[in-house]
Parts: sequence; C-alpha cells; structure tokens
Amino acid sequence: MSENTPGIPESAGQIGVDQWVERADERTERRGGVAGRIGRLWERLPPAGKLALLTPAILVPFLPFVSEGNLFNYGLFILIYALLALGLNVVVGFAGLLDLGYVAFFGFGAYTYAFLSGTHANKGHVYTHHWDAQWSILTAVLVCALLGLFLGSSSRRLLGDYLAIVTLFFGQAFVVFTNAADPYGITNGSNGLANVDPLTFFGFTIDSTRGYYWFLLGCVVVVLIVLYCISESRTGRAWKASREDPLAAEMMGMPVNRLKIMAFSLGAAIAGLAGCVFAAAQTGAFPQNFSTQVLILIYAVVILGGTGSLTGMIVGAIAIIASNQVLDSTSPANVGRVLFYLALVAAVFFTMRRSWPRLLAAFAGTAVFGLVVHAIVDAVWSRGTAGHVRDGGFLTGLIRNWVLLPTNPGRLAVYGYLLMVACIIAVVQLKGWWRLAVLVPTLYLTAFVWENLLVQQPAVTRYVLFGALLIAVMTIRPQGLFGTAKVEIG
Amino acid sequence: MRKLVVAAMLAAGVAVLATAALGSTNSPKRTASVGAATVTCGKTRTIGLAAPFTGPAADIGNQQVRWAKYYVKRWNAQKANRNRRIKVIDGDTQLGVDTAFAVRVAKSFASNSKVLGVVGPAGSQEVVASTSAYKGGRLGFVSGSASRTTLTDGHTDGNRRGYFYRTVPSDAAQGPTVANWMTKKLKWKRVYIIDDQEAYSQGLADGVQKILASRGVKVTRDSISQTDSDFSSKIAKIPSNTQGIYIPWQLAPQAQAFGQQLRAAGKAKIKLFGSDGLFAPGVWKIVGSYDSAFPYNPAAPAVKAYIRAHKGKGEFFGLPSYVAAQVVVGAVTRACADGKATRAEVRKQIAKTKLKSTILGFPVSFAARGEMRLPASYGIYQIQSDGSFKRIG
Amino acid sequence: MNAVFRQRLLNLGGLAVAITVWTFYAVYFSPTHGWTFFLQLTVNGVILGSVYALIALGYSMVYGILKLLNFAHGDVYMIGAFIGFGVLTLLGGPLNPAIPVVLLVFCMFVVAMLGSGLLGLAIERFAYRPLREAPRIAPLISALGVAFFLENSALLLFGAQFRTYDGFDLISYNGIYLGGDNGVFVQYLGVIVIIAAVFLMLALLALVQWTRLGKAMRAVSFDREAAAMMGIEPDRVIATTFFIGSALAGAAGVMFGLLFSQIYHLMGFLAGLKGFTAAVVGGIGSIPGAMLGGLLVGLVESWARGYLNGNVSDLVVFGILIGVMLLRPSGLLGTPALQKV
Repeated sequence: MSENTPGIPESAGQIGVDQWVERADERTERRGGVAGRIGRLWERLPPAGKLALLTPAILVPFLPFVSEGNLFNYGLFILIYALLALGLNVVVGFAGLLDLGYVAFFGFGAYTYAFLSGTHANKGHVYTHHWDAQWSILTAVLVCALLGLFLGSSSRRLLGDYLAIVTLFFGQAFVVFTNAADPYGITNGSNGLANVDPLTFFGFTIDSTRGYYWFLLGCVVVVLIVLYCISESRTGRAWKASREDPLAAEMMGMPVNRLKIMAFSLGAAIAGLAGCVFAAAQTGAFPQNFSTQVLILIYAVVILGGTGSLTGMIVGAIAIIASNQVLDSTSPANVGRVLFYLALVAAVFFTMRRSWPRLLAAFAGTAVFGLVVHAIVDAVWSRGTAGHVRDGGFLTGLIRNWVLLPTNPGRLAVYGYLLMVACIIAVVQLKGWWRLAVLVPTLYLTAFVWENLLVQQPAVTRYVLFGALLIAVMTIRPQGLFGTAKVEIG
Repeated sequence: MRKLVVAAMLAAGVAVLATAALGSTNSPKRTASVGAATVTCGKTRTIGLAAPFTGPAADIGNQQVRWAKYYVKRWNAQKANRNRRIKVIDGDTQLGVDTAFAVRVAKSFASNSKVLGVVGPAGSQEVVASTSAYKGGRLGFVSGSASRTTLTDGHTDGNRRGYFYRTVPSDAAQGPTVANWMTKKLKWKRVYIIDDQEAYSQGLADGVQKILASRGVKVTRDSISQTDSDFSSKIAKIPSNTQGIYIPWQLAPQAQAFGQQLRAAGKAKIKLFGSDGLFAPGVWKIVGSYDSAFPYNPAAPAVKAYIRAHKGKGEFFGLPSYVAAQVVVGAVTRACADGKATRAEVRKQIAKTKLKSTILGFPVSFAARGEMRLPASYGIYQIQSDGSFKRIG
Repeated sequence: MNAVFRQRLLNLGGLAVAITVWTFYAVYFSPTHGWTFFLQLTVNGVILGSVYALIALGYSMVYGILKLLNFAHGDVYMIGAFIGFGVLTLLGGPLNPAIPVVLLVFCMFVVAMLGSGLLGLAIERFAYRPLREAPRIAPLISALGVAFFLENSALLLFGAQFRTYDGFDLISYNGIYLGGDNGVFVQYLGVIVIIAAVFLMLALLALVQWTRLGKAMRAVSFDREAAAMMGIEPDRVIATTFFIGSALAGAAGVMFGLLFSQIYHLMGFLAGLKGFTAAVVGGIGSIPGAMLGGLLVGLVESWARGYLNGNVSDLVVFGILIGVMLLRPSGLLGTPALQKV
C-alpha cells in the first residue's frame, strides 16, 4: 500500500487516515531543545516515580526553613488549591464539562465542617456540636458528593454552554444563600461561622500549621493516586471519550449521562474535603471565602497547569498561589517587586527570543531610555521625580534614579495604565524592528505604572494579572503547561 | 493493578494518620508560644493597627487610620519619647468586603512576636470573628468604633473580657440617645427603621425599636444588604406620611444613594437619621439628615491641630481611634518601663488606663468588662447645607 | 402555523397566565395588598427591565453570531457607567454644569456608548478572535479572564469607593403622581429611560431587518462559512456586532447610574448575570426575546424585592432561570436547537 514514490511521504497512501493526525507522533517527538528532552524523560518515568518526584521533591525539603506565618500563607494555600484544582480537573479536564459553580462545593464542605465541629452562638441559638473530624469530614464529603449528583443530573438536558450558566447560577445562589440573614443562625449570614475546632481524629488534635501541612500533603498524595488510577481505568477512558465527542461515545454504548454525574460527584467530593481542611485551618468559614475570585484562581491553576494533566495541577498551584500570596497586601512589597522585574525580564526574553542582538538592544535601550527620560523630567519638572519608593529595600536607589516617581501620581498613573495596556497590545501585534522600537518605551512605562500604581495595591494587581493570564494562556497555548493539545475535527 | 492500588491507598492512609498524630504531638502550640514570650523593648516598640484601608468602608476606615497615626506621630515627635518610639504595622481588614480579612489580620498580628498591642478592628462583626485569633495570641485589642452592646457582656457573642476594650460608648447608650431625640425633640410619631443585616446595625435597630414602641411611636422595620444599590422597591413600601427613617448603616455611600433614590421617588420630605457608621462628611450629604456619633471636645488643641493639618476636614469618626492609640501606646510604654514586656503585661496596663482628659471631652478609664466608665455618651449631629456635620445635641 | 410559531405562542400564553395569577394574588391576597403598591412596583420594574433589556441585547447578539457567552459583557456595562461618571465630573457635575443639562446628559450617553463600543471591539479582537477555531471551552475561559481583568482594573484605577452620580435636580427628582398624591409616582427620568431604551431597541430591529449590514449579520449567524463564500467578511460583521452590543451596554450603564446613583466596580457582575438571564429566558439569539426577557427579569426582581426579603429576590430570579431552562431550554421566543450529527 505504501509505495516509495519520491516526494510523497511513506504514509501517504493509507486510506482513511488523515495525514495531519498521523504525523502527531512525529511532532511530539520533535519538541525541541531542553524542554523537549525533559518532557521526554518525564514521560518515560513510571507513574509511581512521577509521584515520588513530584510531591516530596517539590513540597517537602524546604520545610525546616520556612516560618510559621509563611507556611500558613504559602504552603497550606498551595496544597488546598492543588486539591481543588485536582477536583476541578476531574470535571473540566477528564469529563470536559465547564463547571462554573465549583466553588460552591468548596464552600459547602467548609460550612458543613464548621457547623458540625464548632461552637456557635448566633442570635441566641447555640450550636455546640463538637464532632470529631473523621465524622464531620465524612459527612461533609458525602453531602458534597450528593450535591454534585444533584447538580450533575440537571445537566442531562443541558448542552455545554447552558451547563456553564446553570452551574454559575448555582455558585451565585450559594453565596447569596450563605450571606442571607437566617433566623436560626445556621450560616450566620455575612458574619460567617467562627470558632471552629481544629481537626481532631480519634483524640489526636492537629493544632499546628505544620501538622495541617503534613495532613494536606497526605490528602494530596492520596487524591493523586486515586485520580491516576481512575484515569487509567475504564471510567477514565470513557470520560475522555465523552469529552471528545459525546454523541459518538453514546453510540459506542457508554452511558454519557451517568458519566457526567459521576464526574460532578467526584469533583464535588474532593472540593468538600478541601473545604473541611480549609475551615479547620482558618478556624472559621466566611461567605466571601467562596466568591468568584476564588473560582477564577482555581481556574487559573487548572488552565495554566493544563486541563487533564495531574502534574500540571500541582505545578500550576505552586505557580499561581505563590504569586497570589506574594502580592498579598500583608506581604512586604519588596518580594513582589523583585518578582515583577524578573517577570519583566522573562517577558522580554520571550518576545525577543529569536534574535540575540535584538534582545541585548532591548535591555540596553530600556536602561538608557529610562535614564534619559528621568534626567529630562528632573530638569524640567522637579515634582516629577520627588516621590518615594514603597518598601524599596535594596532596589530603592536604583529605582529612584531610573523610574519617574511623581509626588502625586494620581491621574498620571491612571493614564499611564491605559497607555500601557494599549502599548502591550501593540507590541504583541508588531514584528521585527518595530516591535523592538515600541518595546523599549513600553517596558519603561510598565515600570512606571508598577511603581506608581500597581505596587500600592498589590492585592488587586494580582487579580488583574490572573485575568490577563487566563486570556494569554488561552490565546497562546490553550493546553497550558502540561496538557495535551486538542484537535477539533469538523 | 488492583492490588497495587489497594496497597498504595492503604499506605497513604496510614501515612496520613501517622503524620497527623506526629503533627499533633511534635510541635508545641506555635502562636501561643509567641503570645507568651517576653519581648525586649528596645528604642522602638511595635503596635498593630487593624482598620479598613480599602473596601466600601474605606472612607471611615481611613479616618481612623489618620487619627491613630496622628497620635503616634505626636508621640514620636516628643523629645521625651526619643528612646521609646512607636512603630505601627498596618492590617487591612476590608470591612464590608469579607470578615475573613479581619481574621487573617488578627492571625498575622498574633504570630508577629514584636506586636505588643492592637488598635482596632473597626466593625463589631470583625471583633466577634477575630476574637479567637487575638486570644490565641494573648493580644489585647482596643477598638475605636466597634459599638455593639453584646460584645462585652461575656456570653452572647463570646467572651473576650480582659482582651477587648473600646474607646466608644456601646450602642446601649447610642440607642436611647437616638430614641430620646426622636421622641422628645423631633416628636416623631411614625418612624421606619431599616438595618443592613450586619451585627452592628441590627443591634442598634433593635434597641431603638424597643424604646420607640414603648413610647407609643408607630414603627415599621425592614432591612437591606450591604451589597444592594437598587432601593426602589424598599422605598415604594414606605408610606409617604412617614416622618423619619432610621438607617444605622456602616456604608456611607449606600446611605447617600438611598437618600437620592428617596428623593427621586418623591419622598424627599421624609428625614433620614443615621448612626456613627455614617459619620462621613462629603460622602453622606443629604442636607437636613440627623446622625448620632461620638462626641468630641472642639476646644482641644489636638483637635484644632488635626483640622488645620487636614485642610479643615474634621473626620470625627476617626477621633476615638486617636484615644484608642493613646491607650495602647500608654499601656505598652508602662509595661516596657523595666525594659521587657509580655503581652499579658500590656493587657494589664490597658485595664489600668486612667486618662484625666482626652479629646473626647471626658476622662477615660475602663470597667472590668472593657467599656469606658461614665460619663461617656453620644452626640447628635445634623448635616448642614455645606456638607459638614454640626453638633446639635 | 408551523411548530416553532405554535410553541412560541404557547410560551407567551403560559407567561400571560402566570402574570395574571400573580397580579391577582399580589393585589388581593398578599400581606401588602393594594393596587398602588403593586403598580408602583410594576412601574419600577419596567424601568429596571429596560436597562436589563439593553444588556440582554448585547448578549443575544453576540451569542447569535458567535455561539459565545460573553461573560465580559457585564463589565463593559460597568465601564460605560464609569465613563459617563467621568464625563459628568469633567463637565462640572450636576450642580454647576458647564453646558445645559440636556446636552450634558446627551454627551454622557454618546461618549459612554462610543467608549464601550471601542472596548467591545478591543475585547473581540484580542481575546476572542484568536480562539475562533478553538474548542468551545477556550473562548469561555478567555471571557472569564477578560471579565476578571476589567473588574480589577476598574478597582485599581478608580478605587473601591462607590461613586455616586449626584442626581440632576431638573430631571432626577421630579415626576408626576398618577392617581392623586398617594398614587403611583413616576419619575421623569424613568420615562426618559424607557423611551430611550425602546428607541434603541427599535433602531436595532430596523438595522437587523432592513439594512444590508443586518442581513450580513443574520447570514453570518446562520452559517459563517457559507456567508464568507457569498462575499461577506465575517470578521468585519462580527466586529460590528460587538461594537453595537457593547455600545448598548454602555448606554445601559449610564442609565443605571442616573437612576440609582451608585456605581462601583462589581456592579457589572450581578447586572451581567441578570441581563444574561434575560437573554436566555427570552430565547438567546433572538432580539425580541432579549427585550421580553429583560422586561420580565426587571418585573420579577422588582416584585420579589417588594413582596419578599431582599436577598431572596436574587435567588428567585435565578430559580426562574433554571426553571425556564429545564422546561424550555431554548427560551420563550427562541428556536429549539438542532443537534448536528
């Protein structure tokens, strides 16, 4: 069947096989450079090896060097979001259903645990269930699974987009429901449930952050193992099939509706577990802990990591949550600043990676441009450079002499921000020397906006960045870091 | 394959339980150890400031911040305090957005061994939520605005005696002041009360409603939520012959929008009566409205200097935070007199506070449960046509 | 009478019955009975509904042409409100306007509509166009990202402080009482808003039915490839659709600011959800459906807030959406979707 006619590839003669699909293996093999080599090595590892490398190697060694506060802020949150991402991955990545109300399951788990394992005096009603954690966690997980079942069964009549809408409303309904002033004090309205017991298993109490960290690590490992086994099993393969083409899957005899419900249920159960531990670690459950911002964070983790890939979830969680906490309003601004400039350098690398001279020109040009502008403004309008650097640390001197710091940035910073967004879009659209020419002032402008506007409100800046990240990942590399590129046929 | 799965899961499960057990017996209670530690007081002592720097209540929050920092600035400027300066660490509680922020701020203060005392938080619900964090860290906290009565009764909203103090009179005093003004001075007979479903608001509304009802005033009660912006349906329910609406809310912009929509519905004749949470000149500016808020002494040099320094803006909502800062700084300094201090010592010193004269217009000392002793009381203000709040009672 | 038309008639009939029953109950049997209260709420509901209808139109148009749920639409509405506020402040504010009040309001509308339209164009160009051929989930996630980006940019740039559109003495606070001094009060501004909304909707209908551009839009929404083969440039048509939809949302934003005077960075989220409910309930992809849906959502919300507790009213609106979607997935005036095999 395959004749060796010069000029036509060997496989050309095969009937019924699309050429492009055929060459897929070649393409993955040929992924070039260092990244490709590491990727191939990683794929050759047995799954147990991957797990062993992933969790201890990444998440354990630094433990002795981290302070209590940092462990709480970074370690715990990374693990909780990793857990949440794993659960969402089941719904979005394995089964291909867009669930925009996922955060409601997280909340349900937290509230159930908080209600069952705490003491609450709300509006005169006193609830003192002090259930041991093993019972309250079990209850919470079961309740969430049932809820997932319920939500999933509503998806029977709904196609993709409508499912997104209904789940979104479900998530909103949860926030409204918990915020509503209830006469029996069960959710205690917007004040939330405070004074929640720490996790107590059969008499042992986990009351230190380190203890929670270990416990969460154990949970993540267990969930990883379970999900890996499921994804390699019949159910996993059926999910993948129904994700790619539900109609064809139905024709092949797979119960697509039941699969959808199972996916929802499993995802919800994992979220419930995360919720319980979260409530215990925070000693409370408040309605706004489960707002849309949290949902966007979880999605950012899943998308960046790559839907369908378990490794991606862990890596994504580390990347997103670490940057989220670094830019928190209680963290010193200097760490965020260092990361910001590093990210700027990385962005320049990425834009100019094809040509070394242009790359060097970009860096040199920006430095010179900045110094020149600073000197000019200094001479002409003294108030333009008289401002102070917020929490500068060791970079203060450099920044003060390079970036424009007006005493009263106000309006200027706002216009600068808008101009910066326009410039960044322009840089992305242009090519060649034009790109370089616009890149230099854009970089300077970005530094200006950062010092005068973004660093004043790091907590809001990070959300802006995550929104932009979602857009960027989707437009540049929809499969994220570790996902597999999907082929849409027809 | 299945055996592998089962084995792996068993192993993992055992590991989880083991680490949980290890985690519990190995490490001591970290935060509590921070709380019980003795801190060497050097030339600079640290206190925490918990307030809404951002969020819908940011205008009143920043008033508190400015007043509290104003006190610290004056303290640090004195030559006598050269070797006992005060450093302030900010904590943004974002009142009106999410109570969880207040808890997180409390936790971060509690686990920072340098912090000896805290000024704040602002909202009564924040006090309730963050109590366990402060108690766990053995930190004392003095609020310049949390006025809900049940915060200090020791059982309804939890027990925080010995930790929580406040430099504002409780709502137990605010309610009767308001009700008296309505019945005796304004002689209102038909009153509508709307609360914003927060602890602070409901407490005040309940108190005023009880008194008004006992004096034969016709009272109707309703509520809105802090995220509402469309009040047209609520306003439609209000009969046009109502004489006044009592709105003990926390968010001044909401009150402004409500007032405008009331006017837009043709009911401009009905007067509004607010509470201390709405004491935000420039934001809430419905002329002729009444407001009950903290009293102050306009002749005090500190008050005059503040008004001068802030271009004529009094911002009196934040005034009690000045006194709160005064209390905390004084307690820290006295506890540090021997060069070392623990948080428990600072709390004891707070309890022993005796300020002979303050800018509030009366001396300040605390009762055992955390309230100021008499003659602490509230004042009644009215919004003038230039937007300022003038004291009328 | 074909089957689709019959089903639509049935839907409308059911709706009419439901409303009549509710009216009877509310006026005669509910705790706050009486015609005045009911009519006042109805008037408020119609005004609110016009605002939601404008938002819903944008959603409907974009979904019709791209099969994309544009989650960022609510935030375009929010930006429109802020632009209007900016223009208002720039031109002196309502207390001492630099130009006559009518002209000032007109300016606010025009600038806000232009600004929102351009924003919509930019969003389409950079967040959705690269994803035309991608799996359905990709543009949805991108839309989420845009929504988040816009909300937090607004927070960053304008601060968390709620802005109040100080009302115009001339139009905001005057109105007429229908039925005596204790009757139903109708703001002049409310009437203006309803008229403006109806005008914009009729203009849109005319555009879609009688102009070449409208024909192109209908063609592209029916089958993009075939339309391209007929010589229509789908990119341009899609861009124009986005511009128009976003401009309508901007107008809705200014209207909301004038009516309820409070704007803040999160207003787009909830309003967007409700506008979205309206579009879906009315039949997504259908312009008359969006108008009907908007009106319905406004009425339901007004009635729910009047007769029930405030928080529950949002749940009621959502509950109705879910109910309609389970009973009639294609909405009241929509076309039942056929699944291509």
